[in-house]
This record gives sequence, C-alpha cells and structure tokens, in this order.
Amino acid sequence: MTPAFLSIRSLRQTYGSVVAVDDVSLEIPEGEFLTFLGPSGSGKSTTLYALAGFNEPTSGDILLRGASILSTPSHKRNIGMVFQRYTLFPHLNVRENVAFPLRVRGRPAAEIAAQVDRMLALVRLDGYGDRMPGHLSGGQQQRVALARALAYDPPVLLMDEPLSALDKKLREEIQIEIRRIHRETGVTILYVTHDQEEALRLSDRIAVFNHGRIEQVGSGRDLYHDPATRFVASFIGDSSFLDTAETKVAGERGRVVFPDGTVVADLPVHRSAGAASSGPAAGQVMVRPQSLRLDVKGQGLPVRVLDVTFLGDSSTVQFQTAWGQELWMRASAEAIAGVSPEATFHVNWNPAESHLFL
Amino acid sequence: MLLSYNRLGGLGLALWAITILVCLFLLVPIIFIAALSFGSSQWLVFPPPAWTLRWYRDLAADPRWLDAALTSAKVGVLSAALAVALGLMASFALVRGRFPGRNLLKALFLTPMVLPVIVFAVAIYALFLRIGLNGTLVGFVLAHTVLAFPFAVIPIVNSLEGFDKSIEDAAVLCGASPLRAKLKITLPAIRIGLFSAAIFAFLISWDEVVVAIFMASPDLQTLPVRIWGALRQDLTPVIAAASTILVAFTLLVMAAAALLRRRISK
Amino acid sequence: MATDVSSPGWRWRGLGPAIPALALLALFFVIPVVSLLLRSVLEPQFGLQNYAELFATSTYARVFYNTFVVASLVTAVSLLLGYPVAWLLAIMPQRWANLVLAVILVSMWTNLLARTYAWMVLLQRTGVINTTLMKLGLISEPLALVKNLTGVTIGMTYIMLPFIILPLYASIRALDPTTLQAAALCGAGRWQAFRRVLLPLSAPGAAAGGLMVFVMSLGYFVTPALLGGTSHMMLAEMIAQLVQSLLNWGLGSAAAFLLLSVTLALYAVQIRFFGGMR
Repeated sequence: MTPAFLSIRSLRQTYGSVVAVDDVSLEIPEGEFLTFLGPSGSGKSTTLYALAGFNEPTSGDILLRGASILSTPSHKRNIGMVFQRYTLFPHLNVRENVAFPLRVRGRPAAEIAAQVDRMLALVRLDGYGDRMPGHLSGGQQQRVALARALAYDPPVLLMDEPLSALDKKLREEIQIEIRRIHRETGVTILYVTHDQEEALRLSDRIAVFNHGRIEQVGSGRDLYHDPATRFVASFIGDSSFLDTAETKVAGERGRVVFPDGTVVADLPVHRSAGAASSGPAAGQVMVRPQSLRLDVKGQGLPVRVLDVTFLGDSSTVQFQTAWGQELWMRASAEAIAGVSPEATFHVNWNPAESHLFL
Repeated sequence: MLLSYNRLGGLGLALWAITILVCLFLLVPIIFIAALSFGSSQWLVFPPPAWTLRWYRDLAADPRWLDAALTSAKVGVLSAALAVALGLMASFALVRGRFPGRNLLKALFLTPMVLPVIVFAVAIYALFLRIGLNGTLVGFVLAHTVLAFPFAVIPIVNSLEGFDKSIEDAAVLCGASPLRAKLKITLPAIRIGLFSAAIFAFLISWDEVVVAIFMASPDLQTLPVRIWGALRQDLTPVIAAASTILVAFTLLVMAAAALLRRRISK
Repeated sequence: MATDVSSPGWRWRGLGPAIPALALLALFFVIPVVSLLLRSVLEPQFGLQNYAELFATSTYARVFYNTFVVASLVTAVSLLLGYPVAWLLAIMPQRWANLVLAVILVSMWTNLLARTYAWMVLLQRTGVINTTLMKLGLISEPLALVKNLTGVTIGMTYIMLPFIILPLYASIRALDPTTLQAAALCGAGRWQAFRRVLLPLSAPGAAAGGLMVFVMSLGYFVTPALLGGTSHMMLAEMIAQLVQSLLNWGLGSAAAFLLLSVTLALYAVQIRFFGGMR
C-alpha cells in the first residue's frame, strides 16, 4: 500500500497521568479538508499541535509524504497555521505580515511583492496592504492570517478554531470564503472545531474526537446517518435516546420492547466496543427529531405533549413517554397544527432511520 | 454624595484647599531651588537681590562636577542596559516558565526594591571592599544593576503577560527560528515595556545616592555623591545650580519618554 | 522523540533564561546581604554580644526610639494630608486630576538630594520661612526648624506624601459611589456617611499606604542625615556610621539585621492582609 499523503500513526500524548491523546491514527489524502470535531479537552487541538510541532508526542509518528516530521522543528516543517486568536504581528502592516514567511525564507523582493499581492487577492483584501492589524476587524484579521499561512504554499494548512472569536453571521461568511480558498488552492486542510454545523458545512471528512480518541471518521452524511457510537450520534445532529425493556438482536437488525410494552422491530444495530455480541442486553434507541411523525391511526409509541415551540422555519414538540423519558420532534408548523400541551398522541418513525445502540 | 464631585458643597472647598496646599508644598521647593540657582546671593537670600549665571559658570569651571555628571551618565546607561537585558530574559522565565518556585523567584527579583537601601549599601560595600570593586565603574554598575533590576522586570513582565504567545508561535510556523521569532516579533511587540524598563532603570541609577556614597572614591563619584559631599560642607548656590540641572535632566528624560511612548504606541 | 515527563529537564522547563539574573542577584545581592547578617553574630567573636550591646547602650536605644517616633510622625502627617488629596483626586474631573497627578509625579521623580537641599535652604535660620515670619512680626527670634525633629518630619513627609496619595487614590477610585448614595438614603448625614461608610471602605488602602510609608521611613538615610541633628540620629545613619566611621562591622550588621527583620515582617503583614504591594 502506498503511504497516504499525511498519516498520523498511533499518536499518544500524556501529561503526567493525564492522557490527552490516546492512540489516534488517521490517513489523509492530499487536498482533503478534514475536520477534527469534538468537545473541549477531547484531544483534537493537542493532535493539531503535534502536527505543528508545539508539543512532542509521547509515542506514535506523523508522516508527510512517507517521511516522519517529528524530528523536524516547527519552523522547518513548512506547515501553515491559522490560530484561534488573532495572531497578526502587531507592529507590522498587512503586507509585511503576509511577506514575513517569505522574508524569513530569503525570497527575492520582487517575488515577495508579487506573492503578497496574489495572497491578498485570494483572501479579497487587495487595497488593505498598508493597514495596521489594530485597524482591522476580527474577520479581516483572520483573513490576513490565512493569507500569511498560505503565502509559502505549505502542503498542509492547520486551522485551530479560527472563527470562534467571530459572531455567527461573520462566521458563516468566512466559512464560505474558506471553502472557496480550499477549492482554489487545493491545499490539504486540517480544521479543528467544536461546532458540528461548521464541521458539516466545511469538511470532506470529519474525525469525531472524544476523551483523546477518534470515535469515527467519515463524511458528514456517514456520521449523521450511520453513527458508529452513541457519542457520535449525540454530537452530530439532534437526537433523542430511549431506554428499552427488552432487546433482541438477529444479525444486523434488532427488535426492542419499550418499558410501556410498545414493540419496534427492524432497527439497525450498532455495537459499542465493550458490549457483548449477543444476549438480551438492554440497548438504547436513538431517534432524530425530524424522523418522528404523529400517527393518527393510533399506532406507535404513546406519548404526552409537554411543550410546543415555534422556531420560524420549523417547530419543535417535546413529548414524554409513559415511562418518563423525553423525546423531541421537529416538523413544519402545519404538520403539528392543533398539538398543544397535555394532549396525548402516538408517534411513529421509520425504523431504518433510527439506531439501536448496544 | 461624598463620592460625587458636584455634590460636595462646602466640603469640596475644604478638600480643594488642602489639595492646592499639598500641591504647592510639593512643587514650591523645586521651583525655589531653580530660582535660587539664578540668584546672586551667596547666602541664598530670597528673593535674590539680582540675577546671575555665576553659579552655573562655577559649576562648568570645576571639572569635578563634569566628571561626576559623566560618571553618572555612564553608570546609568550601563546599569540600565544590563538590567534590561537580564530583566528581559528573566521575564521570559517568569511569564512562560512552568517550574516549581516560580513565585518565589519573582519575589526574589522584586526584593531589591523593598529592602532598605542602607542594608544593601552596607552589604555590597563590605563585599566590594574584599574583592576590590569599591570605587570602580564595574562596582557602581553592578550595584546599580541590582537596584534597578526590579524596576526593569516589572514593566517587561507586564507587557510580556499582555502579549499573546500564539503570535510568536505563528512566526515560528511561518519559518522563523524560535530565536528569530523572539527578536523580530516578540521584542518589537513589547517595545513599550522594554522602553519603560530602560527609562526607569536609568533614572533609578541616575538618582541613586546611598549605595553611591559607599561606593565612591575621591576619583570616581556620581553627581549625587558630589552634591552630597558639597552639602555636608555648606549650602553654596552651586549646589542649587547642580540640583536644577539634575531636575531638568530628569524632567527632560520623562517628557521625552512620554513623547516617544506615544509615538511608539501609534 | 518521546519526552520523559519525570526528567528534571521537564520539571524545570523555562527556568533557563532567568539564570543570568539569578546569578547576578545571588552574587551581588543575596550573598552580600546574608554574609553581612552573619557578621553580626561572628564579629568580634561568635555570639549575640552585638545585639546585647545594641539594646543595652542608651545611645543606640535612643536611635531606635527616634527612628520609631519619626516614622510614626511622618506616617500620621502624610495620612492626614494625603487622605483629602486622594479623596478629591479620585472624584474630581479628569483633566484636573491629571494636573494634580502630574505635580505628584514630578515631585516623586525629582532628585531626592535636590529636594532635601531645598528644604535645608528653606528651613535654615536665615531661610525664607524664618525671614518671612519675622517680617510679618509673628516671631521675634528665628525658629530652629532644621537639625531637629521638625526638620526631619517636614522633609520626610515631603518625600513620602506621593507614596500615600497614589495607593489611596487608587483604592478610593475603586469604590462604588452608589454605596454612599445608599447610605444617604438610609438617613446617614455627611459625618455619619464618612465615618460609617467611606472611612471603613477606604481603610484598607490607607492602611496599606501607611504601612508602606512607615516601613520606608524606618530605613531612610539621606533626608534624616541632612535635616536631622546629631541628637536626632536615625537607624540608617547609625548603621552607616558604625561601619564607615567606627569600622564596627559586628554592631553595624546587627543593627542592619534588626532593620531588615522589622521591614520584612511589616511587608509580610502587608502582603498577608492587603494582598501584595504595588
């Protein structure tokens, strides 16, 4: 097998007795936009810093085009990075900031000037060259940082929550810019975020981090429709989890009896690492809010309405099952016309759209 | 009420009266000395019977005063340079280091500021007597560097704490070696702190009397030592002239520093 | 490439650049001060005889007493004069406050000797203060204002005032004016509001500033030596004389040690109760 463009192999990072990154492996093809998604402290940033060379992994290896980069110091790795905070050099203007990596590399002045112009055009800041960082908005500063990180054509661009300091509207604007720049330059991007929407919007693939491990790697679609673990299911998209009284598994399909006696069959089964492969373990059923439908014929799971919330494009209804668990439904306002608190209904869903976790 | 300026009433008047008196108390002696240095009276009669530059001429005619001023300048510049250089390195350790006893180290670095100067003066005098550094330029510079060190460390630590290390990291990833990133990016970014440190350190040395009295030899004296020596003999107006120059110089340095700082921070 | 977390290199990470400064302070600050203190129990021979002599001799006891009296007086006068200034400074319009602050800073950064010289001239028998008072007919004989307690107190207060005004100013500025409005609404008159609200709230600032001035005054050398008389010698001058003129290093070191311990003890009190010094 030919080695991938970039591979992370069994990376492990410990601080004293704390395990920050635990056996992380990834193969990343050239030109991919890969996002590390996870809650804070899940090891995603630590992995990124290992790539940047800011911390030395306890064990494991990182290979770029087949060669280990771990013994190369940060400044010789030729990797680009955009940080969470604005890291423009405060005493240099925009041009000088973008030119800095080129100056360090001793490129001729004419080449630097041309490349800086190209980069400022790429991030749509032509004409801002003489501004000082202090006179730029947060969004503009991050675009200059992006231009600076790309100026020396790095094979890999690292982005550590670069948009977390910006407000929502600006964030969406720059997300579109980042996608465009990725398309135009074809640079391999490793992007860290804790915002699932941002991850889904930007990435080719997403690696979901939890407790220092990667729970699943795949496209946004894969993660949403076919989550490997309970954590991924709950982290990507909205979901409700229901306990079961009885679970029967046959092959890849399961049949459950809920505590109130309702039976649902034909559920796709996901086994978590620790679960026994057979036996009547009580699993949990995960349902997406938009999979739920009201069943007028009185079939399905009997529930009581707790609350109805109007959210503009859609409405959500909060139900409670007979045994006290909560369940969410998202639907158009018309579909739930007449639903009001304390009313009782039956809800139903296509079993193939839900998941049984063991 | 008591903390609302416009509603103090008669109390405000009383506070203003005391404030003005205190301001006069603080300012008048300085102005008074400056005035006397241009007065013709040998016995410092005020108001002076006539105005003269005689005392300044006396001052300029005596090479010992000029020598002392030169020594002061030399010691000040060297101590400030040394204090800022050591203070800069120490600040990196204090701000970025993660080692046991970091707070203790910080306390040690600030101790020369709070220890009674007389104790340090006597102690360093004893040491320098033994190793033959008394009355030497090196001795002056070393002793003043110790005294100026806390005043250099404080502004540098403050500005380094306000500097986001990610900016330096960004420079390193851009391809600058860690040392180059510090020189090209971090130092310019904290230049106001460095500048304040240099000014403070210089002024501490420039105005320092106690250690200098112990350290001085007849051949090597700083300006304050010269003034001290003269003061112990009589109150000649030449001292007024020397004091005025000293004060004017300090004010000049402070004003220049304020101006420069404003220009730098733009 | 793995890092051994338990290695000493990791534990002392980042200490390196402090080493030159550490060396300077060790060689030219810690070692000389400690060896000076050791001399107090080693010279002329091992024992506490120096301390015994310091406390037993009335001349030295008198110096301790003087030092304490002057430091207390200076602290009290500085607080009385400085409190109203700091108070007004904290609430007055900014441009006036800047002006007053400028006066204070200029005074603070003016050479100590120049300022002391000014008071020597102003306070001497034929100085402006005496001649003016005599011209006004308030006194017939010149007052002895210098070479005594009055001179030292005036000169030291002059030096110390900024050190009390600035921290007090900062602490009064940090108070919330609405607490005093609340006091007024509760029915407190001006005096009540001052005594029961403003004074207690600003007391920590006043105490911190006062303690600092007291400590600084205890070890002050230049001003007392020039403005005080021989009968009003203070501790710092005594230490200087003991080692420089009398070459009695044992006794001088013992006195220095006493000064040092009182100073450090008072600073410890300050850090403990007022959270550090600024």
